[in-house]
Amino acid sequence: MNTSSNGYVLGFAVTVCVAMSTMLAFTSNSLSELQAAAKEFDRQKNVMVAGGLIQEGDARPRKELEAIYQKQVRTQIVDLQSGDFDAGKTPASVEAIKDPKERARYRPVAVALDADGKETGLILPIQCKGLWGPMFGYLALDRDANHVRGITFYAHKETPGLGGEVDNPAWKEMWKGKTVLGAGDALVGITVKKGKVDAAVPAEKQHYVDGLSGATITSNGVTKGVRAELEAWKPLLNKYWAKKN
Amino acid sequence: MTAVATPPQKRSLFGPDERKAIKDPLWDNNPIALQILGICSALAVTTRLDKALIMGLGVTFVCSLANVIISTIRTLIPNKIRIIVQLVVVSSVVIIFDQLLQAYMYDLSKQLSVFVGLIITNCIVMGRLEAYAMGNPPWRSFLDGIGNGLGYAWILAVVGAIREIFGSGKLLGMQVIPQGLYDAGYVNNGLMVLAPGAFLLLGIIVWIQRSISGYSEK
Repeated sequence: MNTSSNGYVLGFAVTVCVAMSTMLAFTSNSLSELQAAAKEFDRQKNVMVAGGLIQEGDARPRKELEAIYQKQVRTQIVDLQSGDFDAGKTPASVEAIKDPKERARYRPVAVALDADGKETGLILPIQCKGLWGPMFGYLALDRDANHVRGITFYAHKETPGLGGEVDNPAWKEMWKGKTVLGAGDALVGITVKKGKVDAAVPAEKQHYVDGLSGATITSNGVTKGVRAELEAWKPLLNKYWAKKN
Repeated sequence: MTAVATPPQKRSLFGPDERKAIKDPLWDNNPIALQILGICSALAVTTRLDKALIMGLGVTFVCSLANVIISTIRTLIPNKIRIIVQLVVVSSVVIIFDQLLQAYMYDLSKQLSVFVGLIITNCIVMGRLEAYAMGNPPWRSFLDGIGNGLGYAWILAVVGAIREIFGSGKLLGMQVIPQGLYDAGYVNNGLMVLAPGAFLLLGIIVWIQRSISGYSEK
C-alpha cells in the first residue's frame, strides 16, 4: 500500500482523530460522575476551611469530613432584597427560576454551627475577578458579621506562583481577625495592599492584608470583589450588625 | 536442494533486548541525568514528594501507553504526518490521565494544575516515540516506556524528598524534623521551596550520577 499518497494520509489522519476522540469521550463520560462528586467534596471542604471548622489539608477520611459538613454547616437561601432567610426555597428551586434578575435575588449562604447546632458564623460565597477568569471562593465572618474567620478560593485560573498564591495558607491566615466595618460601623471591606501591611497604622492593621507580589490584578480583583460581595450581602449582614448594638 | 525452513525464532518475554529496554533508562541512559530532558517539569513539581510521585506516575503512564499505541500502528503511520500523529496520541493519553486524576485525586490534580497538561510537551515522551516506538514492537516499546517513566520518576522523587524535608521539614505531609530542632533555632531552607533550589539539586544529582556511571560528553 502506498502510505504516502494524499488519500491515504488524509484517511489515516481522520481515522486517528476519530479513534482518539471516541476514547476521550468514553473516558470523560464514564468518569464524569466521580469527578462531580470530587468537586462537590472539594467545595464542601473549602466551606469548612473558610469557616474554621476544619484545618487546611485535614487528613481525616472523606466520610468523616462529609459528616462534619452535614452536621455543622446549614445551607440556607437568602432573599437579598429583604435580607431574610427564605425557608421555602432550596438551591434547586432557585436554579429553576427562569428570570435571571429574579434568580439573582436569591443566593445560598452557609451557616456555620457548633456541635450543639448553635449558629457561630456566616460563610458567604464570593466571586472575584482574577487575571484569567472569575475566582470562586468563600469569605467566612464571625457571629457579629464583622470579624473575618477565613477566606478560601476553590476554583480559579490564576497563574501558579503569582496570582495562584491566593491558595497560600500563610496568606489566607492573614485574613483571620480582620474587620469589615470601619469607623461609625460603615462598611469598608478588606483591602489587599500593594506591599506589606504596616501594623503601626490602625486602619491598615484592621482592614488590610499583604499584597501578592507579582499579582497586582489578582490582588485588586480580590479587594474589589470582596467589597462588592459584602455590599450585595448587606441586607443580610445588616441584621447581624444591628444585633450587636 | 530443499531449503530448510528456519523455525520461527523463539523470543522470551524478557530477553536481553527487553531487559535492556527497561534497565537502560533507569541508569545508563537516564532521560534526566544523561539526556537532560524533562528538566522543566522536574523543577516545577518537586516542592513536595507526593507531587513528584504523581508526576512520575503520570509520565510513566503516558510514556508506556503512547509507546504501545504508536508501536502498534507504526507501519501504518504515513511518514509525512508521523509527528502530528504522535502528538495526537500523546495528548489523548495525557487527557485521560488528567481525567483520572480529577476523579480520584482531586486535591493533587488541583495542585499540579497545568503541569499535568504539560506532560504533552515533555521531551521524554516524544523522544521515546520517535526514537524507539517507531522502530520496535509493542511489548518492547511498552517496557521502554515504563523504563523511561521510572527513570524520570526516581530522580523526581529524590529531588522532591530532599526539597520537602529541607524546604518545609516534612515528608509526604508528615513532620519529620522534630519541633525541638526548630526551638533550638533551626529554620527551613527557603531556597528549597523555590525553583532555583531544584536546579541546584538536579545539577548535583547529574554530577553524582555521571561520576558513578563514568559518562562524559564528547
